[in-house]
Amino acid sequence: MSSTADSTTVRPPLISGNQTFSTITQRISEIVEIEVQKTPKAWFIAFGISSSLAGGMGLMIAYLLWEGTGIWGLNQPAGWGWAIVNFVFWVGIGHAGTLISAILFLFRQKWRTSINRFAEAMTIFAVICAGMFPGIHVGRAWVAYWMFPLPNQMDIWPNFRSPLLWDVFAVSTYFTVSCLFWYVGLIPDLATLRDRAKSGIRKVLLGIAALGWRGSNRQWSNYEKAYLILAGLATPLVLSVHTVVSFDFAVGIVPGWHTTIFPPYFVAGAIFSGFAMVMTLAVIARWIYKLEDFITMRHLENMNKIMLLTGMLVGYAYACEFFISWYGGNPYEQSIFINRATGPYAWAYWTMVSCNVLSPQIFWFKKCRTSIPVMFVVSILINIGMWFERFVITVTSLSQDYLPSSWGYYIPTVYDVGIFIGSFGLFLTLFLLFLRFLPMIAIAEVKGVIPEADPHHYDH
Amino acid sequence: MKWDKSTYRIQDTGIYGKLLLAVGIAGLAASAVGFNADSKQFYHSYLTAYVFWTSVGLGALFFTMVHHLVDATWSVVVRRLSECLMVTLPVMFIFLLPIVGHGIHDLYHWSHADAVAHDVLLQHKAPWLNTGMFIGRSVIYFVCWTVIGAVLYKTSLRQDQKHEEGLLGRMRMVSGPGMVIFALTLTFSAFDWMMSLDPHWYSTIFGVYFFAGSLLSALAFMTLWIVFLQSNQILTDEITVEHFHDLGKLIFAFTVFWTYIAFSQYFLIWYGNIPEETVWYLHRWEGNWKTISLLLVFAHFVIPFAVLLSRVPKRSVRMMTIMSIWMLAVHWIDLYWLISPNLHKHHFHFSWMDAATFVGIGGIFIFCFLKRFAAQPIIPVNDPKLRESIHFVNI
Repeated sequence: MSSTADSTTVRPPLISGNQTFSTITQRISEIVEIEVQKTPKAWFIAFGISSSLAGGMGLMIAYLLWEGTGIWGLNQPAGWGWAIVNFVFWVGIGHAGTLISAILFLFRQKWRTSINRFAEAMTIFAVICAGMFPGIHVGRAWVAYWMFPLPNQMDIWPNFRSPLLWDVFAVSTYFTVSCLFWYVGLIPDLATLRDRAKSGIRKVLLGIAALGWRGSNRQWSNYEKAYLILAGLATPLVLSVHTVVSFDFAVGIVPGWHTTIFPPYFVAGAIFSGFAMVMTLAVIARWIYKLEDFITMRHLENMNKIMLLTGMLVGYAYACEFFISWYGGNPYEQSIFINRATGPYAWAYWTMVSCNVLSPQIFWFKKCRTSIPVMFVVSILINIGMWFERFVITVTSLSQDYLPSSWGYYIPTVYDVGIFIGSFGLFLTLFLLFLRFLPMIAIAEVKGVIPEADPHHYDH
Repeated sequence: MKWDKSTYRIQDTGIYGKLLLAVGIAGLAASAVGFNADSKQFYHSYLTAYVFWTSVGLGALFFTMVHHLVDATWSVVVRRLSECLMVTLPVMFIFLLPIVGHGIHDLYHWSHADAVAHDVLLQHKAPWLNTGMFIGRSVIYFVCWTVIGAVLYKTSLRQDQKHEEGLLGRMRMVSGPGMVIFALTLTFSAFDWMMSLDPHWYSTIFGVYFFAGSLLSALAFMTLWIVFLQSNQILTDEITVEHFHDLGKLIFAFTVFWTYIAFSQYFLIWYGNIPEETVWYLHRWEGNWKTISLLLVFAHFVIPFAVLLSRVPKRSVRMMTIMSIWMLAVHWIDLYWLISPNLHKHHFHFSWMDAATFVGIGGIFIFCFLKRFAAQPIIPVNDPKLRESIHFVNI
């Protein structure tokens, strides 16, 4: 029932501007119903840029498949480079959506209704970007299906003790359930669009997608049960995916990787970066589509509070690791941590600390939490910082482990950078298509949190 | 026990106060006998009991702060309960005195100068693990917990007098930084009091592990206390099955959270297979310690998970009573499993002092809590969300 608000006695409405059922339907639906010519110019420009970047990435991947992973900056000893960093980065971003739809739902946080739809969409697109990287990193991408334990005549199996295999299971399960969750939530809204559709073909297509939704009592009752069960099932998934990702590192006995706090620390970081990405996109979408009544300052402020919390959790993990690296007395652990802070990658380490731990501290102040420019800049800083966190973990530990004679320095090539930038192109292309064709705010759910939804609203 | 329904005050605690005091003193007296017989056993039993009751208070401190930070509604009716537990926490400082004053040598290997002289690792850790720093840090923990608790409690009582607009906001303001301080102090107290029993061993997640158990024990204690009050016809209309349901959900959630943290720690150490880390689990897998280790898996996870998963048991006062006692019991076993392998290296055997110290400290702790509980209205009578909280319904 509760969410944070200024006044401690009166709960302000979640949706402003005196919206009614019909204005909500109209405002959200018209965004996807306008004719092609009336699509905002900004959308076309953004789509042109992002799809070009995605196309450029396609070319680079083609060259990568032709030439091999040697075109990247991978070397001995840093056999894991940007591809793994990007994988973890994108999987992390894909955590906010399901957290908002599942965990905040179980915690009765009704303010989530305005942001859950596009956060879930973002989750799916981020996981697509993430899944791409291990696929191309295997070198022979045409046999990437060997990652799955498929029976074969040579009796070759993946190593079931390897967390990389668990990743395959964890990420694909997460992707499936996230899609399912997203789609189940979409059904009533697709039916709304179907009922409003003017052209025949549009009616038919939306009709198929809406699975015969009529909005009867019985359907709603089943729908809400399904939603609750899915939320219950998705909640452990939010934790498990990044836990398994953290195992990729933590089960190895590489200094700086093998530490017990990694699982919850990675999960906190994932939620942190996911919320930062939701914030970046929400601020832009809210501004372009004038959705200030739906994504109110209260929503943004709550997201900033979650970023402050998760940023502090990540900071707690950094501090714990640093302390125990000294306390544990293992000279290799000590040296890697001192090296991170003062060695050749110190620039990356301090970028990480200042972006992830220092920059969200500004959210202690209400003025900053409610300032759009501040939250926009901080959300981007957090995105940068969280990318660097994965870079610091992956690269510093690999390039300077036990044997000083085999130390190295990792330098990315143009293909590393290009494919990473291209993955943003892919992500944004998918996201822009979503904005254009599907309702970005859950119409039916938002209707449930306005005063009119109370059955006694009209009794006086 | 009697109460005045119009003012929400306890009028008469009946025989419970005297009973608790008597039990506490008897337990402590018996413990004192044990101390003379075997001081090593005494201090290990004592530390387990001490950490147990402290963790109940710490969990309550967390619960109160989270309540304010997320502006919760349902928990308004149980807020005073967690506040009273939280302000009973400073009592535990008195019980810390025997440990820091005398027991430190019986408990902590690193406190022996001759041991340090022959151990390079202990020399390395000496700036942190030394008697002075240990005592100093423990004092700091208690100062922090006392101050945060006292400020929150005082503001809450002021709200009882008359409603002022800014009071809830102030409690939230205190809870924000309070939570940061809480996280750090709880972590280091877990490192100091329990992890340093094996001064060579370390685990970054250890603080989170202790936190999970603390919150669980506080939730279980609060649930039991509500059952106790209602059996005396107190707060029967205010705290409803809906509140039991929510407490049950939290107990369920943090059972899973505890398991997640325990598994993360175990699994990474097992997989890494580095002797300096695995030795800690090895001690807990030798002899009949294996029984306790396996017991924790089933009693601290499988059974409560299976029982509390569905809706019906969480809405049954009877089941919630059983499960709260269960969770408190397994929390004690968990702490025993953390602490006692330090003494009983290959084979555990329960000592009567385990029970005596538990009852002794617990009796006094609950006695102080009861006194505190009877000293003011037992729900925050002027909280603007009180009505909403009483009529709250799970959907």
